[in-house]
Amino acid sequence: MSEAILRADAVHKRYGELEVLRGVSFEVGRGEVKVIIGPSGSGKSTLLRCLALLEEPDAGDVSLEGRRPGRAEVGMVFQRFNLFQNMTALGNVMIGLTEVRKLAKREAREQATELLARVGLQDKTSQYPDELSGGQQQRVAIARALVMKPKVMLFDEPTSALDVELVREVLDVMEELANDGMTMVVVSHELRFAHHVASSILMMDEGVVIEEAPPERFFSAPEHERTRRFLALVE
Amino acid sequence: MLASFDTHLFWEALSSDPYWKGALLALALTVVSLAAAVVIGFALALGRGSRFRAVRSFVFFYNWLFRATPTLLQLVFVWYALPQLWPVFAGSWFTPFEAAFVTLSLNEAAYMSEIVRAGLLSVDPGQEVAARALGLTRRQVLRRVIVPQAIRIIIPPTGNEFITLLKLTSLASVISLQELLTASQQLAAVKFQYPEAYLAALVYYLAIVSVLMMLQARLERRYTFTSARRRRTVAPAIPALSHDAR
Repeated sequence: MSEAILRADAVHKRYGELEVLRGVSFEVGRGEVKVIIGPSGSGKSTLLRCLALLEEPDAGDVSLEGRRPGRAEVGMVFQRFNLFQNMTALGNVMIGLTEVRKLAKREAREQATELLARVGLQDKTSQYPDELSGGQQQRVAIARALVMKPKVMLFDEPTSALDVELVREVLDVMEELANDGMTMVVVSHELRFAHHVASSILMMDEGVVIEEAPPERFFSAPEHERTRRFLALVE
Repeated sequence: MLASFDTHLFWEALSSDPYWKGALLALALTVVSLAAAVVIGFALALGRGSRFRAVRSFVFFYNWLFRATPTLLQLVFVWYALPQLWPVFAGSWFTPFEAAFVTLSLNEAAYMSEIVRAGLLSVDPGQEVAARALGLTRRQVLRRVIVPQAIRIIIPPTGNEFITLLKLTSLASVISLQELLTASQQLAAVKFQYPEAYLAALVYYLAIVSVLMMLQARLERRYTFTSARRRRTVAPAIPALSHDAR
Protein backbone atom coordinates (compact mmCIF):
# COMPACT_ATOMS: atom_id res chain seq x y z
CA MET A 1 0.00 0.00 0.00
CA SER A 2 1.16 3.54 -0.76
CA GLU A 3 1.99 5.98 2.00
CA ALA A 4 -1.03 6.93 4.15
CA ILE A 5 -2.18 10.50 3.69
CA LEU A 6 -5.36 10.57 5.78
CA ARG A 7 -5.62 8.60 8.98
CA ALA A 8 -8.36 8.08 11.53
CA ASP A 9 -7.15 6.65 14.79
CA ALA A 10 -9.66 5.15 17.25
CA VAL A 11 -12.19 7.92 16.63
CA HIS A 12 -15.05 8.07 19.12
CA LYS A 13 -18.07 10.34 18.90
CA ARG A 14 -21.23 10.41 20.94
CA TYR A 15 -24.31 12.63 20.88
CA GLY A 16 -25.73 12.52 24.37
CA GLU A 17 -26.61 8.91 25.12
CA LEU A 18 -25.97 7.74 21.61
CA GLU A 19 -22.49 6.49 20.84
CA VAL A 20 -22.26 6.92 17.07
CA LEU A 21 -18.59 6.10 16.53
CA ARG A 22 -17.04 3.49 18.78
CA GLY A 23 -13.39 3.52 17.84
CA VAL A 24 -12.97 3.80 14.09
CA SER A 25 -9.49 3.40 12.67
CA PHE A 26 -8.50 3.34 9.04
CA GLU A 27 -6.11 5.00 6.67
CA VAL A 28 -6.24 6.20 3.12
CA GLY A 29 -3.17 6.09 0.90
CA ARG A 30 -2.39 8.83 -1.59
CA GLY A 31 -4.52 8.38 -4.68
CA GLU A 32 -6.69 5.71 -3.11
CA VAL A 33 -10.47 5.67 -3.28
CA LYS A 34 -12.18 4.23 -0.22
CA VAL A 35 -15.87 3.50 -0.45
CA ILE A 36 -17.72 3.17 2.84
CA ILE A 37 -21.00 1.27 2.95
CA GLY A 38 -23.23 0.26 5.80
CA PRO A 39 -26.78 0.55 7.10
CA SER A 40 -28.16 3.93 8.13
CA GLY A 41 -27.15 4.85 11.64
CA SER A 42 -23.88 2.95 11.31
CA GLY A 43 -21.90 6.18 11.67
CA LYS A 44 -20.73 6.72 8.07
CA SER A 45 -21.77 10.36 7.82
CA THR A 46 -20.51 11.18 11.29
CA LEU A 47 -17.16 9.66 10.37
CA LEU A 48 -16.92 11.90 7.30
CA ARG A 49 -17.88 14.94 9.36
CA CYS A 50 -15.08 14.12 11.79
CA LEU A 51 -12.62 13.74 8.92
CA ALA A 52 -13.70 17.14 7.56
CA LEU A 53 -13.34 18.66 11.03
CA LEU A 54 -16.99 19.61 11.01
CA GLU A 55 -17.24 17.62 14.23
CA GLU A 56 -14.64 17.30 16.92
CA PRO A 57 -14.08 13.64 17.89
CA ASP A 58 -14.61 12.94 21.61
CA ALA A 59 -11.56 10.70 21.57
CA GLY A 60 -9.09 9.56 18.97
CA ASP A 61 -7.31 11.43 16.24
CA VAL A 62 -7.74 12.57 12.67
CA SER A 63 -4.56 13.45 10.84
CA LEU A 64 -3.62 14.52 7.35
CA GLU A 65 -0.01 13.83 6.40
CA GLY A 66 0.70 13.32 10.06
CA ARG A 67 -0.79 16.58 11.36
CA ARG A 68 -4.14 18.21 11.97
CA PRO A 69 -5.82 19.14 8.65
CA GLY A 70 -5.83 22.87 7.82
CA ARG A 71 -8.71 24.94 6.47
CA ALA A 72 -10.18 23.46 3.30
CA GLU A 73 -7.42 20.88 2.95
CA VAL A 74 -10.16 18.28 3.09
CA GLY A 75 -12.96 18.93 0.57
CA MET A 76 -16.49 17.83 1.33
CA VAL A 77 -19.47 17.11 -0.92
CA PHE A 78 -22.88 16.68 0.70
CA GLN A 79 -25.90 14.56 -0.01
CA ARG A 80 -28.11 17.61 -0.44
CA PHE A 81 -25.50 19.67 -2.32
CA ASN A 82 -25.80 22.63 0.10
CA LEU A 83 -24.95 25.18 -2.56
CA PHE A 84 -25.16 28.76 -1.31
CA GLN A 85 -28.60 29.82 -2.49
CA ASN A 86 -27.70 33.49 -2.70
CA MET A 87 -24.88 33.00 -5.19
CA THR A 88 -24.61 31.93 -8.80
CA ALA A 89 -22.75 28.75 -9.73
CA LEU A 90 -19.67 30.87 -10.33
CA GLY A 91 -20.14 32.70 -7.02
CA ASN A 92 -20.35 29.39 -5.19
CA VAL A 93 -17.04 28.24 -6.63
CA MET A 94 -15.36 31.64 -6.17
CA ILE A 95 -16.18 32.34 -2.55
CA GLY A 96 -13.66 29.94 -1.02
CA LEU A 97 -10.93 31.53 -3.12
CA THR A 98 -11.82 35.12 -2.30
CA GLU A 99 -12.74 34.67 1.37
CA VAL A 100 -10.45 31.88 2.55
CA ARG A 101 -7.54 32.00 0.11
CA LYS A 102 -7.80 35.81 -0.21
CA LEU A 103 -7.34 35.73 -3.97
CA ALA A 104 -8.20 38.76 -6.08
CA LYS A 105 -11.63 38.58 -7.76
CA ARG A 106 -10.15 38.28 -11.24
CA GLU A 107 -7.87 35.42 -10.37
CA ALA A 108 -10.67 33.68 -8.48
CA ARG A 109 -13.06 34.06 -11.40
CA GLU A 110 -10.54 32.52 -13.78
CA GLN A 111 -9.91 29.50 -11.60
CA ALA A 112 -13.60 29.04 -10.82
CA THR A 113 -14.58 29.22 -14.48
CA GLU A 114 -11.95 26.63 -15.30
CA LEU A 115 -13.24 24.28 -12.62
CA LEU A 116 -16.85 24.67 -13.76
CA ALA A 117 -15.74 23.81 -17.30
CA ARG A 118 -14.04 20.72 -15.92
CA VAL A 119 -17.33 19.44 -14.51
CA GLY A 120 -19.07 20.32 -17.77
CA LEU A 121 -20.94 23.42 -16.63
CA GLN A 122 -19.19 26.21 -18.55
CA ASP A 123 -22.54 27.49 -19.83
CA LYS A 124 -24.23 27.51 -16.40
CA THR A 125 -21.89 29.87 -14.55
CA SER A 126 -24.45 32.63 -14.02
CA GLN A 127 -27.34 30.39 -12.97
CA TYR A 128 -28.51 30.28 -9.37
CA PRO A 129 -28.80 26.89 -7.60
CA ASP A 130 -32.60 26.97 -7.87
CA GLU A 131 -32.27 27.08 -11.64
CA LEU A 132 -30.06 23.98 -11.89
CA SER A 133 -30.97 20.30 -11.85
CA GLY A 134 -29.84 18.19 -8.91
CA GLY A 135 -27.05 16.66 -10.96
CA GLN A 136 -25.82 20.07 -12.07
CA GLN A 137 -25.97 21.37 -8.50
CA GLN A 138 -23.92 18.46 -7.26
CA ARG A 139 -21.33 19.05 -9.96
CA VAL A 140 -21.09 22.71 -8.91
CA ALA A 141 -20.63 21.48 -5.33
CA ILE A 142 -17.79 19.24 -6.46
CA ALA A 143 -16.17 22.16 -8.31
CA ARG A 144 -16.61 24.35 -5.22
CA ALA A 145 -14.65 21.85 -3.12
CA LEU A 146 -12.07 21.09 -5.81
CA VAL A 147 -11.15 24.69 -6.49
CA MET A 148 -9.57 24.84 -3.02
CA LYS A 149 -7.10 22.17 -4.16
CA PRO A 150 -7.85 19.79 -1.29
CA LYS A 151 -5.56 16.87 -0.59
CA VAL A 152 -8.52 14.60 0.04
CA MET A 153 -12.14 14.73 -1.15
CA LEU A 154 -14.96 13.36 0.98
CA PHE A 155 -18.32 12.48 -0.55
CA ASP A 156 -21.32 11.90 1.71
CA GLU A 157 -23.89 9.94 -0.33
CA PRO A 158 -23.42 12.32 -3.27
CA THR A 159 -26.04 10.68 -5.49
CA SER A 160 -28.73 9.53 -3.09
CA ALA A 161 -30.75 12.74 -3.37
CA LEU A 162 -30.70 12.59 -7.17
CA ASP A 163 -33.22 11.35 -9.69
CA VAL A 164 -32.05 8.09 -11.25
CA GLU A 165 -31.19 9.60 -14.61
CA LEU A 166 -28.99 12.28 -13.01
CA VAL A 167 -26.84 9.88 -10.99
CA ARG A 168 -24.62 9.00 -13.92
CA GLU A 169 -23.33 12.52 -14.64
CA VAL A 170 -22.18 12.91 -11.05
CA LEU A 171 -20.56 9.48 -10.88
CA ASP A 172 -18.76 10.21 -14.16
CA VAL A 173 -17.22 13.36 -12.71
CA MET A 174 -16.17 11.42 -9.60
CA GLU A 175 -14.66 8.62 -11.64
CA GLU A 176 -12.68 11.10 -13.71
CA LEU A 177 -11.44 12.65 -10.50
CA ALA A 178 -10.32 9.24 -9.22
CA ASN A 179 -8.53 8.55 -12.49
CA ASP A 180 -6.70 11.87 -12.12
CA GLY A 181 -5.28 10.54 -8.87
CA MET A 182 -7.44 12.34 -6.30
CA THR A 183 -7.56 10.71 -2.89
CA MET A 184 -11.21 10.09 -2.06
CA VAL A 185 -13.42 8.75 0.69
CA VAL A 186 -16.92 8.06 -0.59
CA VAL A 187 -19.97 7.04 1.39
CA SER A 188 -22.23 5.52 -1.22
CA HIS A 189 -24.38 2.54 -2.03
CA GLU A 190 -23.64 2.73 -5.74
CA LEU A 191 -22.12 -0.72 -5.75
CA ARG A 192 -21.22 -0.69 -9.43
CA PHE A 193 -19.25 2.49 -8.90
CA ALA A 194 -17.60 0.94 -5.85
CA HIS A 195 -16.72 -2.19 -7.78
CA HIS A 196 -15.32 -0.22 -10.63
CA VAL A 197 -13.48 2.64 -8.93
CA ALA A 198 -12.73 1.77 -5.30
CA SER A 199 -9.29 0.70 -4.09
CA SER A 200 -11.03 -0.87 -1.16
CA ILE A 201 -14.42 -1.03 0.44
CA LEU A 202 -15.19 -0.60 4.12
CA MET A 203 -18.25 -2.01 5.79
CA MET A 204 -19.44 -0.09 8.84
CA ASP A 205 -21.96 -1.25 11.39
CA GLU A 206 -22.90 0.18 14.79
CA GLY A 207 -20.06 2.66 14.89
CA VAL A 208 -17.15 0.42 13.91
CA VAL A 209 -15.53 -0.80 10.70
CA ILE A 210 -16.28 -4.50 10.59
CA GLU A 211 -14.60 -5.34 7.31
CA GLU A 212 -12.28 -3.83 4.74
CA ALA A 213 -11.26 -5.47 1.48
CA PRO A 214 -10.55 -4.74 -2.20
CA PRO A 215 -13.77 -4.81 -4.27
CA GLU A 216 -13.18 -8.26 -5.83
CA ARG A 217 -12.83 -9.99 -2.51
CA PHE A 218 -15.40 -7.79 -0.77
CA PHE A 219 -18.17 -8.70 -3.17
CA SER A 220 -17.24 -12.29 -3.97
CA ALA A 221 -16.17 -13.50 -0.55
CA PRO A 222 -17.26 -11.18 2.25
CA GLU A 223 -15.95 -12.39 5.57
CA HIS A 224 -18.78 -11.24 7.79
CA GLU A 225 -22.28 -12.55 7.96
CA ARG A 226 -23.43 -8.96 8.53
CA THR A 227 -21.81 -7.82 5.28
CA ARG A 228 -23.40 -10.69 3.36
CA ARG A 229 -26.84 -9.83 4.66
CA PHE A 230 -26.35 -6.13 3.86
CA LEU A 231 -25.13 -6.78 0.32
CA ALA A 232 -28.06 -9.07 -0.32
CA LEU A 233 -30.40 -6.23 0.67
CA VAL A 234 -28.70 -3.51 -1.37
CA GLU A 235 -28.34 -5.45 -4.59
CA MET B 1 -74.09 65.45 1.35
CA LEU B 2 -71.30 66.91 3.30
CA ALA B 3 -72.46 69.84 5.34
CA SER B 4 -69.40 71.86 4.53
CA PHE B 5 -65.94 71.09 3.27
CA ASP B 6 -63.55 73.91 2.63
CA THR B 7 -61.55 72.57 -0.31
CA HIS B 8 -59.43 75.65 -0.38
CA LEU B 9 -58.41 75.24 3.23
CA PHE B 10 -57.66 71.56 2.61
CA TRP B 11 -55.24 72.37 -0.25
CA GLU B 12 -53.74 75.18 1.72
CA ALA B 13 -53.09 72.84 4.63
CA LEU B 14 -51.56 70.23 2.34
CA SER B 15 -49.03 72.66 0.97
CA SER B 16 -48.39 74.53 4.18
CA ASP B 17 -45.04 74.57 5.94
CA PRO B 18 -46.09 72.89 9.21
CA TYR B 19 -47.50 69.91 7.28
CA TRP B 20 -44.51 69.56 5.01
CA LYS B 21 -42.06 69.81 7.81
CA GLY B 22 -44.20 67.63 10.04
CA ALA B 23 -44.28 64.92 7.39
CA LEU B 24 -40.53 65.14 6.84
CA LEU B 25 -39.95 64.97 10.56
CA ALA B 26 -42.18 61.92 10.91
CA LEU B 27 -40.44 60.23 8.00
CA ALA B 28 -36.96 61.08 9.32
CA LEU B 29 -37.85 59.84 12.79
CA THR B 30 -39.19 56.60 11.33
CA VAL B 31 -36.12 55.99 9.16
CA VAL B 32 -33.51 56.64 11.85
CA SER B 33 -35.47 54.73 14.49
CA LEU B 34 -35.95 51.73 12.24
CA ALA B 35 -32.29 51.77 11.20
CA ALA B 36 -31.18 51.81 14.83
CA ALA B 37 -33.75 49.14 15.68
CA VAL B 38 -32.45 46.85 12.94
CA VAL B 39 -28.91 47.12 14.29
CA ILE B 40 -29.92 46.63 17.94
CA GLY B 41 -32.41 43.92 16.94
CA PHE B 42 -29.72 42.03 15.04
CA ALA B 43 -27.47 42.09 18.11
CA LEU B 44 -30.37 40.93 20.28
CA ALA B 45 -31.17 38.12 17.84
CA LEU B 46 -27.59 36.90 17.96
CA GLY B 47 -27.67 37.27 21.74
CA ARG B 48 -30.63 34.94 21.97
CA GLY B 49 -28.54 32.17 20.49
CA SER B 50 -25.53 32.96 22.69
CA ARG B 51 -23.59 30.32 24.59
CA PHE B 52 -23.81 32.47 27.70
CA ARG B 53 -26.87 32.23 29.84
CA ALA B 54 -26.53 35.81 31.09
CA VAL B 55 -26.71 37.14 27.53
CA ARG B 56 -29.76 35.05 26.71
CA SER B 57 -31.46 36.22 29.93
CA PHE B 58 -30.71 39.85 29.12
CA VAL B 59 -32.35 39.54 25.69
CA PHE B 60 -35.38 37.89 27.23
CA PHE B 61 -35.65 40.66 29.82
CA TYR B 62 -35.22 43.38 27.19
CA ASN B 63 -37.92 42.01 24.91
CA TRP B 64 -40.26 41.46 27.82
CA LEU B 65 -39.75 45.00 29.13
CA PHE B 66 -40.35 46.77 25.82
CA ARG B 67 -43.17 44.62 24.56
CA ALA B 68 -45.16 44.41 27.78
CA THR B 69 -45.46 48.18 28.33
CA PRO B 70 -47.34 50.76 26.23
CA THR B 71 -45.20 52.72 23.81
CA LEU B 72 -46.89 55.96 24.87
CA LEU B 73 -45.92 55.30 28.48
CA GLN B 74 -42.35 54.57 27.41
CA LEU B 75 -42.28 57.83 25.49
CA VAL B 76 -43.48 60.04 28.33
CA PHE B 77 -41.15 58.16 30.68
CA VAL B 78 -38.15 58.94 28.50
CA TRP B 79 -39.20 62.57 28.02
CA TYR B 80 -40.39 63.50 31.52
CA ALA B 81 -38.98 60.92 33.96
CA LEU B 82 -35.56 60.19 32.54
CA PRO B 83 -34.18 63.76 33.00
CA GLN B 84 -35.20 63.65 36.68
CA LEU B 85 -33.45 60.33 37.18
CA TRP B 86 -30.41 61.07 35.06
CA PRO B 87 -29.26 64.68 34.86
CA VAL B 88 -27.49 64.03 31.55
CA PHE B 89 -30.91 63.96 29.88
CA ALA B 90 -31.85 67.33 31.39
CA GLY B 91 -29.47 69.11 29.00
CA SER B 92 -30.73 71.23 26.14
CA TRP B 93 -29.50 68.66 23.59
CA PHE B 94 -32.30 66.34 24.62
CA THR B 95 -35.12 67.61 22.40
CA PRO B 96 -38.45 65.90 21.74
CA PHE B 97 -36.93 64.44 18.57
CA GLU B 98 -34.12 62.75 20.49
CA ALA B 99 -36.55 61.49 23.11
CA ALA B 100 -38.81 60.01 20.44
CA PHE B 101 -35.82 58.52 18.63
CA VAL B 102 -34.52 56.84 21.78
CA THR B 103 -37.93 55.48 22.70
CA LEU B 104 -38.97 54.26 19.28
CA SER B 105 -35.66 52.64 18.39
CA LEU B 106 -35.35 50.80 21.72
CA ASN B 107 -38.98 49.76 21.52
CA GLU B 108 -38.82 48.68 17.90
CA ALA B 109 -35.59 46.73 18.49
CA ALA B 110 -37.54 44.28 20.65
CA TYR B 111 -39.84 43.51 17.72
CA MET B 112 -37.05 43.52 15.15
CA SER B 113 -35.05 41.01 17.17
CA GLU B 114 -37.83 38.45 16.77
CA ILE B 115 -38.08 39.15 13.05
CA VAL B 116 -34.32 38.89 12.53
CA ARG B 117 -34.20 35.72 14.59
CA ALA B 118 -36.93 34.12 12.51
CA GLY B 119 -35.02 35.13 9.38
CA LEU B 120 -31.75 33.63 10.59
CA LEU B 121 -33.49 30.42 11.63
CA SER B 122 -35.15 30.12 8.23
CA VAL B 123 -31.81 29.54 6.51
CA ASP B 124 -31.10 25.84 5.95
CA PRO B 125 -28.46 24.66 8.48
CA GLY B 126 -26.73 22.85 5.58
CA GLN B 127 -25.63 26.26 4.30
CA GLU B 128 -23.54 26.88 7.39
CA VAL B 129 -22.09 23.37 7.38
CA ALA B 130 -21.01 23.73 3.76
CA ALA B 131 -19.49 27.15 4.41
CA ARG B 132 -17.52 25.85 7.39
CA ALA B 133 -16.33 22.89 5.33
CA LEU B 134 -14.95 25.40 2.82
CA GLY B 135 -13.01 27.04 5.63
CA LEU B 136 -15.02 30.24 6.09
CA THR B 137 -14.88 31.79 9.56
CA ARG B 138 -18.00 32.25 11.68
CA ARG B 139 -18.12 35.92 10.68
CA GLN B 140 -17.72 35.19 6.98
CA VAL B 141 -20.44 32.54 7.14
CA LEU B 142 -22.81 35.04 8.70
CA ARG B 143 -21.96 37.90 6.37
CA ARG B 144 -21.67 36.12 3.05
CA VAL B 145 -24.10 33.25 3.36
CA ILE B 146 -26.63 33.45 6.18
CA VAL B 147 -27.51 37.14 6.40
CA PRO B 148 -28.12 37.65 2.63
CA GLN B 149 -30.51 34.71 2.65
CA ALA B 150 -32.19 35.81 5.87
CA ILE B 151 -32.77 39.33 4.49
CA ARG B 152 -35.19 37.91 1.96
CA ILE B 153 -37.34 36.63 4.81
CA ILE B 154 -36.82 39.73 6.92
CA ILE B 155 -37.88 42.38 4.36
CA PRO B 156 -41.68 41.90 4.29
CA PRO B 157 -42.25 42.00 8.08
CA THR B 158 -39.78 44.89 8.33
CA GLY B 159 -41.93 46.79 5.85
CA ASN B 160 -44.81 46.30 8.25
CA GLU B 161 -42.69 47.56 11.10
CA PHE B 162 -41.88 50.68 9.08
CA ILE B 163 -45.58 51.39 8.71
CA THR B 164 -46.21 50.74 12.40
CA LEU B 165 -43.35 53.03 13.37
CA LEU B 166 -44.51 55.78 11.04
CA LYS B 167 -47.88 55.74 12.75
CA LEU B 168 -46.28 55.58 16.17
CA THR B 169 -44.41 58.83 15.48
CA SER B 170 -47.77 60.58 15.97
CA LEU B 171 -47.49 59.65 19.65
CA ALA B 172 -44.69 62.19 19.86
CA SER B 173 -47.29 64.93 19.53
CA VAL B 174 -47.82 64.52 23.28
CA ILE B 175 -44.23 65.58 23.93
CA SER B 176 -44.74 68.51 21.52
CA LEU B 177 -42.73 67.20 18.60
CA GLN B 178 -43.79 69.24 15.56
CA GLU B 179 -44.84 66.24 13.49
CA LEU B 180 -47.93 65.74 11.33
CA LEU B 181 -50.53 65.21 13.98
CA THR B 182 -49.31 68.25 15.90
CA ALA B 183 -49.55 70.31 12.71
CA SER B 184 -53.12 69.26 12.04
CA GLN B 185 -54.20 69.76 15.65
CA GLN B 186 -52.78 73.26 15.64
CA LEU B 187 -54.51 74.10 12.38
CA ALA B 188 -57.80 72.66 13.62
CA ALA B 189 -57.56 74.58 16.85
CA VAL B 190 -57.08 77.86 15.01
CA LYS B 191 -59.69 77.39 12.25
CA PHE B 192 -62.05 75.09 14.11
CA GLN B 193 -62.36 73.09 10.85
CA TYR B 194 -61.47 69.51 11.74
CA PRO B 195 -62.21 67.57 8.51
CA GLU B 196 -59.86 69.64 6.37
CA ALA B 197 -57.06 69.64 8.95
CA TYR B 198 -57.11 65.92 9.68
CA LEU B 199 -57.72 64.80 6.09
CA ALA B 200 -54.62 66.67 4.99
CA ALA B 201 -52.57 64.76 7.56
CA LEU B 202 -54.12 61.48 6.41
CA VAL B 203 -53.05 62.17 2.85
CA TYR B 204 -49.44 62.56 3.94
CA TYR B 205 -49.39 59.25 5.81
CA LEU B 206 -50.93 57.48 2.82
CA ALA B 207 -48.41 59.03 0.43
CA ILE B 208 -45.43 58.01 2.56
CA VAL B 209 -46.65 54.44 2.95
CA SER B 210 -47.32 54.16 -0.79
CA VAL B 211 -43.77 55.18 -1.63
CA LEU B 212 -42.47 52.72 0.94
CA MET B 213 -44.46 49.89 -0.61
CA MET B 214 -42.87 50.57 -4.00
CA LEU B 215 -39.40 50.62 -2.50
CA GLN B 216 -40.11 47.38 -0.66
CA ALA B 217 -41.20 45.60 -3.82
CA ARG B 218 -37.93 46.64 -5.49
CA LEU B 219 -35.89 45.50 -2.53
CA GLU B 220 -37.63 42.13 -2.51
CA ARG B 221 -36.79 41.62 -6.16
CA ARG B 222 -33.17 42.41 -5.41
CA TYR B 223 -33.07 39.63 -2.85
CA THR B 224 -34.70 37.03 -5.07
CA PHE B 225 -31.94 34.70 -6.08
CA THR B 226 -32.63 33.84 -9.70
CA SER B 227 -30.78 35.09 -12.75
CA ALA B 228 -33.87 36.88 -14.01
CA ARG B 229 -34.56 38.32 -10.53
CA ARG B 230 -38.22 38.29 -11.28
CA ARG B 231 -39.66 34.89 -10.66
CA ARG B 232 -40.67 33.66 -7.25
CA THR B 233 -41.77 36.83 -5.51
CA VAL B 234 -41.62 36.10 -1.84
CA ALA B 235 -44.41 38.26 -0.51
CA PRO B 236 -47.50 39.89 -1.97
CA ALA B 237 -46.85 43.35 -3.42
CA ILE B 238 -49.12 44.90 -0.81
CA PRO B 239 -47.79 44.21 2.65
CA ALA B 240 -50.44 43.24 5.13
CA LEU B 241 -51.04 46.08 7.54
CA SER B 242 -50.05 45.16 11.03
CA HIS B 243 -52.72 45.09 13.66
CA ASP B 244 -50.85 45.42 16.86
CA ALA B 245 -51.75 48.48 18.85
CA ARG B 246 -48.65 49.59 20.63
